[in-house]
Amino acid sequence: MDKKTTQLHKYHLSQEAKFIDFGDWSMPFSYEGTLKEHDIVRTSSGFFDVSHMGRLEIQYSEIKKISKLICSEIIDIPSNKALYSIFTNADGNALDDVIFWKFDDKIILIPNASNLEKIKSHLVAHNVEFIDRSPDTVLIAVQGPDTIELIQDRFEIPDKFSTNFTESFLYARTGYTGEDGVEIMANNEDAESLLTFLTEKGVKPCGLGSRDTLRLEASLPLYGFELTEDITPVEASLNWTITNKNEYLGSNRINDQLSGESHKVLKKFTINSRKIARTETVGIAGDTKGLVTSGNFSPVLNKSIGFILFENMPSHDLIEFDIRGNLVEGNIVNKRFLS
Amino acid sequence: MSDIKYLETHEWYLMKDDEITVGISDFAQNELGDIVYVTLPEVGQEFEKGAAVVEVEATKTVADAYAPMDCTITAVNSQLETEPETINNDPCGDGWMFKAKVSTVDDSGMSYQEYETFVS
Repeated sequence: MDKKTTQLHKYHLSQEAKFIDFGDWSMPFSYEGTLKEHDIVRTSSGFFDVSHMGRLEIQYSEIKKISKLICSEIIDIPSNKALYSIFTNADGNALDDVIFWKFDDKIILIPNASNLEKIKSHLVAHNVEFIDRSPDTVLIAVQGPDTIELIQDRFEIPDKFSTNFTESFLYARTGYTGEDGVEIMANNEDAESLLTFLTEKGVKPCGLGSRDTLRLEASLPLYGFELTEDITPVEASLNWTITNKNEYLGSNRINDQLSGESHKVLKKFTINSRKIARTETVGIAGDTKGLVTSGNFSPVLNKSIGFILFENMPSHDLIEFDIRGNLVEGNIVNKRFLS
Repeated sequence: MSDIKYLETHEWYLMKDDEITVGISDFAQNELGDIVYVTLPEVGQEFEKGAAVVEVEATKTVADAYAPMDCTITAVNSQLETEPETINNDPCGDGWMFKAKVSTVDDSGMSYQEYETFVS
C-alpha cells in the first residue's frame, strides 16, 4: 500500500528531504542531518511538519464527556489553556497521549497519527461529537529559543501552555522538544504562506529524526514506545498528568496504583560507554528486569540515553544492559536529562 | 577511485600489495544517518572474511562493518573515535576505518559501476 503523505509533501521534496516510513505515513526524516537539525532547535529555531497527527474539533459543550475519558482535569482550567493528557481504557492503560487546545467555543484535540482512528472510534463510542479537521488543515511545530522573537510580528504570543488564534490560524505555545515555541494549525490554503513566512524568517525545516532525539533528550515519552495499551500513566511515571479528581475510565486501577499497589516502572537512564541501548534491549537493575523502550544519543549531554520499563520498582540504580552480546553498564536517572 | 571495490554489505576496500584499507560506502553512511559512535578493532586482531570488525552507532540504527577477506589489523583511524561524523562527510577518504594485512586474498568485490547498479 502506498504510504500517506502530508499536504506539505511537495515542499519536502523541493527541499530534498530524506523520508522515513512512520506507521501509515511517509514523513521527512531529515533535510540537512539529524544532529544539525537537533542543534538548530536547541540554539535557534526550526519547524516540523507534524500534519500526520490528528486535529479533531470538538464543541466546548462536550467537555464533561471528555473529562470522563482522560486522567487530567480539563473542565476547571482556563479556556485559553493547552493541556497534555492521556486517554485511558477501562484498565487505566494508555490509549493515547494527546494535546488539547482549549478555546472559548471549542476544543482542538491532537492525537498521535497512529492512534487517530482509534481515538475517533473511542469518542464515537462515548458519544463525544467531533469534526475531523485533519484532512483540510496542516499542523506545524515551530521550536527553539529564537522562535518567539522571530514570529511575534505575525503571531500574538500567548503565555506558555496557552492558546491563541488569528483569522487563519489556531495555535498554542506548546511543543515536543523541550524548547519554547508554538504549534500552529492552518487551513490547507494558508499553509504555503505560513511556510514562506517561516523560511523568510530563517526558521529551518527539521525532520522526524531530530524530533525523536529532541523529545528523548527532553525526557518526553513517545506513544508506541514508552506508552502503549499495556501501561498506565502511573507506570509511565506521568503522575503529574493525573489531576482528574472525578471518576474516569480506568481511574480505579490508577488510584490503586497511586495508593501503593505494585506496578511496572518507567525510568530514564544514561550509559557511560559508547553504545546505544536501543528499543527492546534487556537491562537488569539488581534483581529487576527491564526492557528499553527508546534509546539514542543525546547531542547536548554527549551521552547515550534512554527510557527503560522495569517489571517493578528496581532496588538498584545501576543497570546492566546486554547490548548485542556485550555487557554494558548504565545508571538510572531520576531528574530530567536536561536541567 | 577506480581501484576501490565494494561489497554487498556496503564496505569498500582498497588493496595495495597485501594490505587493504576498509571503510563503508557513501550509500551506507547515507542510509545510517548521523554516526555518533564508532568502535574500532585493535591493531594485531585477526578477522575472518565476513566477521564484524567495526561497530557503527548512528542516530537511526546500529550496523557492523565486516572484513572483506581474512586479515590482521595493522592500523585504525582513531580520528573516528572523537570525530565519527568524518564517515558521513568523507566515507571513502578521511572516513576510512582500518587497514589490515591480508592473509587470504579474495579480490572479488564489485567495481564502482557494479556497486551503483547493486544499490539502485
